[in-house]
This record gives sequence, C-alpha cells and structure tokens, in this order.
Amino acid sequence: MGNLKNSDLVEIVFWLLIAVIFFSVSFNFNQPIEIYKFGATGWPRVILALIGLAALGNLYHSFKNGSKTQKGRVGASEAPDQVYYSSLTDYLKTAWILVIPLLYAISLKPVGFYFGTPFFIALVMLAWGERRVKFILLSTLFIYALLIILFMFILNAPLPQGNVSPFYDFSAFMLKMKTQFDQLF
Amino acid sequence: MLDNFLTGTATLFGDPFTVGIFIFGVIGGMLFGAIPGVSMLTLAAILLPFTADLSPSQGVMLFAVIYCTGTYGGAITAILFNIPGAPENAPTAFDGYPMTQKGMAGKAVGAAVLCSAVGGVASAIVMMSATEPLAQWAIMNIGPPEIFALVFFGLAVASSVGGRTIWKGWLSVLLGLLIATIGQDPVGGINRFNFGFSDLAAGIAFVPAILGFFAVSEIFVQAEKKVSGNYSAPKFSVDFPTFFELWAHKIAVIRSILVGFFCGILPGIGATLAAFMGYGEAVRWSKNKSDFGKGKLEGVISSETANNAATGAAMIPLLALGLPGGALTAMMVAVFQMHDLEPGPLVFYNSPDLIWIVFAGMFYANLSILFIGLLETKTILYLLKIPFQFLAPMILMLASIGAYISRGLVLDVIVMFAAGVIGFLLRRSGYSIPGIVLGLILGKIGEQNFAQGMQMVHYDLGTYFSRPICTILIIAGVLTLVKSLHSAFFAKHVES
Repeated sequence: MGNLKNSDLVEIVFWLLIAVIFFSVSFNFNQPIEIYKFGATGWPRVILALIGLAALGNLYHSFKNGSKTQKGRVGASEAPDQVYYSSLTDYLKTAWILVIPLLYAISLKPVGFYFGTPFFIALVMLAWGERRVKFILLSTLFIYALLIILFMFILNAPLPQGNVSPFYDFSAFMLKMKTQFDQLF
Repeated sequence: MLDNFLTGTATLFGDPFTVGIFIFGVIGGMLFGAIPGVSMLTLAAILLPFTADLSPSQGVMLFAVIYCTGTYGGAITAILFNIPGAPENAPTAFDGYPMTQKGMAGKAVGAAVLCSAVGGVASAIVMMSATEPLAQWAIMNIGPPEIFALVFFGLAVASSVGGRTIWKGWLSVLLGLLIATIGQDPVGGINRFNFGFSDLAAGIAFVPAILGFFAVSEIFVQAEKKVSGNYSAPKFSVDFPTFFELWAHKIAVIRSILVGFFCGILPGIGATLAAFMGYGEAVRWSKNKSDFGKGKLEGVISSETANNAATGAAMIPLLALGLPGGALTAMMVAVFQMHDLEPGPLVFYNSPDLIWIVFAGMFYANLSILFIGLLETKTILYLLKIPFQFLAPMILMLASIGAYISRGLVLDVIVMFAAGVIGFLLRRSGYSIPGIVLGLILGKIGEQNFAQGMQMVHYDLGTYFSRPICTILIIAGVLTLVKSLHSAFFAKHVES
C-alpha cells in the first residue's frame, strides 16, 4: 500500500464518486444543440474526465510520498496546521460547530431572521467554548442591535421574515416598529 | 484629455450632493471591503435599487468609486484574518496572513494601502488617456479564442499556487469549474445538474459561494483550533513598511500594473485573474521562490497592485464595449439600464459628461485610498484585539445577510454554509480555496468563449492557432502545466 493512509482512500473515493454521479446525471441533459457541436454535456464531461485523472495523480502522489507537501508550492501554508483530537468529545464539538450554521440557514425560511438570529449568535459563542453567561448575553444583544440598526433602519435591507406563526408575527412586529420609527422623522 | 478631466473634476466637486455620493462611495467601499463577512458586492447589491433616484452619472460614479475602494478594503481582511474581502484579494492572503501571524500586520496593510493607490491611480491615468484606442485595439485583436486562452493560462497559474501538491491544486480548480457548470449552459440554455431544484436553474451565485469558501471556512478552521486547544490569537503590530522596503519592490509594482491592466482590459476577466497573475508572475521572476506563501512583502505588493490596476482597465470594456469584467461591473450595467442607457461606444458621444465624471471619480477615489487608508489603517489593526469568539458570530451573521441580500433567496444562505463546510474539509486535506473560487468565477466565461471561439473557426484548430495572442497564451498555459507536472513527479517533498 506504499505510504497510503485511510484518508487518501477516502479522498479518491470522494472524487471518483463525484465524477461518476455527475457523469450519470449528465445523461439527463444530453441534448444536441444545433449551433454547437459539443452540446451541453461536452464541457462538463471533459471536466469530469480531468477530475478522474487528477484524482488518480493525487492517489499516486500519496502512494509515493504520503501526505508530504510538494516542495515549492506557493500558498500551501494556507492549509490549516494539523489538528489532533484527543477524544470523541472533541469530534462532537467540531461537528456541532459545523452543524449550527446549517441549522440556522435551514430555519431561516420558517423562523425568519428577526427571531432566529439572537439564538444563533448565542449558540455560536457557546460552541466556541464561551461560558460566561453575562458576556454571551451582552454580546448577543450588542451584535443583534448593531445588525438591526445597520441593515433594517439605515440600509432598509429586506431580510427573511419567516412563514410560520408566531415567528412571522414577531417579524411583522419588528417591521411595524421600524415603520413607526420612520414616521417620527 | 486634461480639459475633459478638469471638466469632470469640476462637475464632481461642483455639486455638494455629488460630493456627498463620492464620499459615501469611498468610505462605504473601504468599510464594506474591510469588514470580514461582507464585501463591496453586498453594499452594491443593497444600493442598486436606490440608484434609480440618482442621475446616471452619479449612479455609475458611485459604483465605480465603490469598486476602487472596495477592492483595496478586501485586502485588510485577507491580511488580518485570512478572509479575502473579495476573490481579487485571495492571493493577498497567501503572504499577508503569514505576515500577521509573524506580527507584521502593519507592514502588510501599509504596503496594501500604498500599492492599491499606486496601481489604481496608474490604471486611472491610462484609462483616461487611452480608453478609446485601447477599446479599438481590443475590438480588433481580442475575441473569444483569446479570452478562452487567457482563462486557460490563468487557471494553469492558479493551479500552481495554493494546495499542498499540484494534483490538489488542479482538483481545486476543477471542482470550481464543475460547480460553475450547475445551471443553464451558456450556449443552448439547457438546464444542467440542478438535481430537481428550480432555484439552481440560475446556477450557484458567486457571492454566497465565495463567502462560504473564504469567510465561513476560515471561521470553522479557527473554531476547530479553539476546540482542540491549538488556537493562538494573531499578533498585533502597527509598524508600517519603510520607504526603502517599498522602493526595493518597484519592479514588482510596475510588472503588476502591466499585468493588472492587461487582464482588466479583457472583457469578462477582471481583477480576480489580475491578482492571481500578478502574484504568479512575482513568484516566477523571484530569486527566492520558496519564500512566497510564508510572509513575503512582495506577495502582498504584487497582488494588491495588480487587482487595483485592473479596476481602471475593467472600465474600458464596460464603457467602450458594454461588456462587464466582473460582478460589480455587471451591476454597473444594471445602473445604466435603469436609466434607459446602454454602455457601449455610443456612450462616449452621447454622454461625455457621464464618462468624465466617472473617470474623475475613480482617479480621486484611488488617491483617497492613500490618505484615508493610511489614516484608518492604525484603527483597523485594532480589529485584531477583538476576541474571536465575539468576532466569529458577527462575521457569520454579516456573511449570512450578504449572501441573502444579493438575490433574496434563503437557498443562497444554505449554499454559503454548505460551501463553508466543504471548504473547511478540503482545507484540512490541503486543497486550495482560492483555486476553487477562481475556477468557479472563470468556468462560465471559459466555456462560453470556448464555444464561441470554436464556432468562429468552424472547429478548425489550425485557424484557432493562427491567432498570435491566442497561441502565445495557450503555449504559456501549456508550459506552466508541463512545468508543474514535471515538479509533481520529480520535486522533493517536505513533511506537512
């Protein structure tokens, strides 16, 4: 197996899966275009073939050199330093950090920006390991107020309002407050 | 030219309301560029509806000013937090962030201020003196084959920077190209890879993808370090570069101005490729190639000079041919259209006032970078003192709003966070985020111009290679590829 590690095998499987899945989906739009010989599939299929080739090259490199960095690669230091996990809890903590924003994004449609945001801000701080309750509360309030003032009051930006009661009602209340504020001036 | 410039200056500063718009554009561009998580594109997207109430010259001038100062502002976050404010600032982070880690943030930001101003002013002067002849030259000599050839060369250069190996560099670029194929194909308008989601018919929007890959993934990287106890706060410093340090890089500045201007003048290419090529050329001509990517001042200088040099040049295809060179110049086309105008050769004859107020605005905006930039730099460096557990949710929120505002779709926020997770995992494995983003940006342009070029030459490669600029660029791209492949098989390797 040369210098191959399990992570190298995961990588090759990942890239080949992408290539195979996208290639098979490309048959869904494999229609000729009258004015263009290569059609809608030509360009993406060349990219997929190159992905396959580069993935094999990557596997060969790992087989020969392991995870060593190729000498002379510029900007390779942007890759983060190796991080070691000492326990399952560390993995769970990182997974939690990755999942919270996705949950927030998915909740934006039903819950809306105005209601969900303070909870999201506080949860991110908690996930980052912050445990001072006063700091979390005050920071959440400060960031939320800053965003509302900048985007709602000054820039009048349209933000998601949610479509489920009572979250939608809360957004409507915020917008009503803003209208009343505007009428003051 | 001088008369027209003075007339443009008088019009710009003769009306207090126009002066107010100019100042708003200068400060707004710098701030939105320099706040991690949002960018000049966020500000432009918010302001777009309001430009209907402005005159055409005020509206286009506002966007041109935001373009100049926002391009500089994005360097600040690239240097301080490894979060490029815009794709054109991505190569700045290669050396800028390592400089911050070494406690040299002040030097990097100071160099970015000065070089952005120099690149921008030089570009504005050439733009003012030569827009019409350069536009004529571009019309005569630059067609789809040349643009495709430049995209190919640019991608070859991009694959050679970032990423732990050449294979990972190429896989990053190819992933970006693949993401760019999602949505309608540029020739027949056939839906590709939308997986049943109707919102994906318009493709993956640049803004959320870029925010996800750059800003969100960096937050995740820092969070992981914090969780595992490897986090160290960036070092604070306000030492500016000395005059002699900057003077020593005069050749790099001149080279980057030329590279930036050349890339900017080509329709659809813009400042992003300019920054990559400026950086790539600096590496190519350097005697100490191995120092790049580890905190070399020349890296910041080359990238920042080139991207600002492209801002002025990008106005040439926009104004003379009606072809935008990037997301922000595309929004300028929208400003024109809101006022029933079409950018193109006729604008020079029908609306000379508009042209010269825009040129004057860009010239003074670039000068402002020097003065306001130097004043604000010391203040901005104090961002490094804010605890990251406070900054992180702030950046994530600003990025969420920035992603949502451009199209008003919650899907874009989901795409942004998904891109953040993918970016985080790929970075851990040594892939290049700037490579992915450049592939994403240039993918559609490359495919469209390849298709048009092939149709032009009736699929005859002999005719394709009879065009000298095209041939030179393709050969340069192939040589770059061959060289990187050679090093992939024969170069020494070091422990990561």
